Amino acid sequence: MAGRSAEVLLGLGFAGIMTTLLLGFQWAPSVAIDAFESPAAQRIFYWHVPAAWAAFIAFAVLFTGSAMWFFKRSPLGWRLHVAGAEAGLACGLIAVWSGCVWGAAEWGTPWDWTDVRLNTFGLLTLLALFLVLGRQSQPDGVESRDTFSTFGLFGFVLVPFTYIATRIWEIRHPGPVVGAGDDGGSLSGDMAIVLFIGALSFTIFIIGHILISMRITSLEQRLEQALHHIDGGK
Amino acid sequence: MDGMTYLTVAYLGMIAGIAIWTWTVVNRSRTIEARLTAVESSMGIIASEADSISKEHKD
Repeated sequence: MAGRSAEVLLGLGFAGIMTTLLLGFQWAPSVAIDAFESPAAQRIFYWHVPAAWAAFIAFAVLFTGSAMWFFKRSPLGWRLHVAGAEAGLACGLIAVWSGCVWGAAEWGTPWDWTDVRLNTFGLLTLLALFLVLGRQSQPDGVESRDTFSTFGLFGFVLVPFTYIATRIWEIRHPGPVVGAGDDGGSLSGDMAIVLFIGALSFTIFIIGHILISMRITSLEQRLEQALHHIDGGK
Repeated sequence: MDGMTYLTVAYLGMIAGIAIWTWTVVNRSRTIEARLTAVESSMGIIASEADSISKEHKD
């Protein structure tokens, strides 16, 4: 039942993501041709920003799960930790990939090592990669869970740092286009609608992924217990 | 390369990434579920959601 509802959310989210792509190409207006080096490539933004938003949701889930495991030894907390790390890695990679391609088109280089936003977000994605690969390569036990949870807890410091980076140090990554404070955003109404649909769709999609990932962890634990029984353990 | 080429490369990469990720996760879930059902029914044990590591080390 839980598995089916997660799959329904995945399907809904995916349909919304593809609708966003269609609207981004067919309906959203173009940017001013003289304001960008590569105006056509700007349409990457309709997936890039929602993917980054979904990654932040996943990192918040990772932080919550890490805290619940570390302080309460909660099995739900561990499942949240695993799901948050996997979802954070996937969405982080989507945001980094789309950002690199846009950077290559607009700036002439895919990455700027002096830009704070780029590097803190890159570090967050690497942290998620470490957690996913680490869990797969280490035997499951309280020590390994504690270690990974500690990384999940302290790594979250990078999230607010990444969020405020373009507000404090706008080096190369563009500043905020929504919620920019008194100056307002630079987004037209139609662009904002497509972006909102994208953010909503990615949110539904990431919730579906988190639920299904939590279910997989739970099933793996049950399978391990069942195999332990077969081996004669208690 | 022009802007549309970059845009196509970016979106094709992301669509492929999302599709592979989703297919892998759904497939993994169904495979493990099928294995677990087979193992549990053959042993006649009651399915439990409990996490043994958590139970053993709960403070």
